[in-house]
Amino acid sequence: MPSKLLTWQATTLAATAMAAILPAAALAQNQGPTLTHETVLSDLQDPWDMAFLPDGTMFFTEKCRGLSVLLPSGDVNALLGIGGSDGFSSTGEDLFCEGQAGMNGVAVDPDFDENRFVYVYSASNLTEPGGNRVLRLVVNDDLSEVSDRTDIVDDIPYKPVATDQPFGGPGAHNGGRIRFDPEGHLFVTTGDTHNAEVPQSPTLIGGKVLRIDRDGEPIEGNNAPDGFDPRIFTYGHRNVQGIAFRPDTGQPVVAEHGPWHSDEITALVAGGNGGWDPRPGEAGRGECPDGYCGYEPNQMDEMNPQERAEYMPMTDLNTYPDAMKPAWNNNGLSQGSVSAAFLSGEQWGEWDGRMVVGLMGIGFGGTPVGQRIDIVDLAEDGLSVNNVTEMALPMESGRFRSLVQGPDGNLYAAIDEGDIYRITPE
Amino acid sequence: MKIPTGTALLLALAVPAIAQEPPAADIAAGEKMYASSCARCHGRTGRGMASFPPVEGKDVDYLVGRLEQYREGENVGPNSALMKPVAAKLSDEDITNLSAFIAANFQ
Repeated sequence: MPSKLLTWQATTLAATAMAAILPAAALAQNQGPTLTHETVLSDLQDPWDMAFLPDGTMFFTEKCRGLSVLLPSGDVNALLGIGGSDGFSSTGEDLFCEGQAGMNGVAVDPDFDENRFVYVYSASNLTEPGGNRVLRLVVNDDLSEVSDRTDIVDDIPYKPVATDQPFGGPGAHNGGRIRFDPEGHLFVTTGDTHNAEVPQSPTLIGGKVLRIDRDGEPIEGNNAPDGFDPRIFTYGHRNVQGIAFRPDTGQPVVAEHGPWHSDEITALVAGGNGGWDPRPGEAGRGECPDGYCGYEPNQMDEMNPQERAEYMPMTDLNTYPDAMKPAWNNNGLSQGSVSAAFLSGEQWGEWDGRMVVGLMGIGFGGTPVGQRIDIVDLAEDGLSVNNVTEMALPMESGRFRSLVQGPDGNLYAAIDEGDIYRITPE
Repeated sequence: MKIPTGTALLLALAVPAIAQEPPAADIAAGEKMYASSCARCHGRTGRGMASFPPVEGKDVDYLVGRLEQYREGENVGPNSALMKPVAAKLSDEDITNLSAFIAANFQ
């Protein structure tokens, strides 16, 4: 089936104007390849992330189970389970899942052939009142066991108790994506944990994007302001779960879930501020439920997203004029952009080099649920988009938790429903 | 035809009892509604996803009670903001059908 030619344009464009500016040539420009799909794995429990070896071996995480690996033979080895899990060759009894937290991101070391390192982001109770860690593991030769666990980051905040917020249970806004960039630096995305002090804090490393080496040490040039933790690459984030690197420049670009409004795609610069600051008493706000203004005003009831954005901006350019401007804000709506990758290779045709963003779908206050994968054509400077189109899915949609391009050039998509798909351009 | 007295008495007792039975649930209608309105958060098989709780293993009374609470605007748990607008649109029949489908299929 040919790709659907749905184009999301800026809301300021009237429909009539859109018709006038979308001639056949522009539509042809958005034409992507015909897609087919296969189900790689099914009946998983909240599959959260994947990472590949060059031969197609696929490590994957399930939030409340742990880390496993799918071998090219089709066999699956369960490697590291969270506490109380069965069937794994080892378990971390301190590892747990709660709400959005659990075993989240996974990454393979660029020098895996030499060091056999894989990394996972997981909640752990080794630190009171619970926290998130980045674990480095050594995988044995036949990919049946992991050993030599080293916690290279052990101080990522976690939300331990429920608060009076939507989705206010423990484990909320937990971040969790880990990715190596082309230079071999490890990026770690963290969430604000519904704690208003976290995003702009110089020392609490929630609401941040960290850039570290394989030992957890900061990378020179992270450029965070004086007094900030040197591991911080960017700060002032709400809950980044999608990060990918532009194929031509290596620049990191994040996809972030907005608060009842404004899902954002932002090209990051070292030391940048994402402009998220949900503290009471800031930017004209008064008190907020349990000291967190992130869903205000009127956090539990329907309201115009634009009015919300004016009161509690996702990127507050009035308070922080130098904050990183988003390239795209999903037409001011929040539908849960949560995963990101770049497509690369001639097999993708016009989509070669485009960003793909997975949306989980959140229908609140009249916003369409919007489960989908968007194809994003970022402007060269990363400060705007040339266009955003919706992928015509060759399978049923789902909550697109993770998107990764595999070594075979195909796009792999994990959905919370329990499937991992392989999407192949024809 | 003469109806024996005892039988007539039984019939007289039975008719009101039948009339008071709630309408039978339309499980097929519940299935359709679940797929369109519930599955995106609670999962295709009701086991819950991410921040959204499972609905599997719940009996009809529990499900009807919760849906009625949300329909009435009560806050029950951290996702009430999402559930209340959904439940507000449900009729008694919808709640009966949905609850019957979930209880019968997601154990």
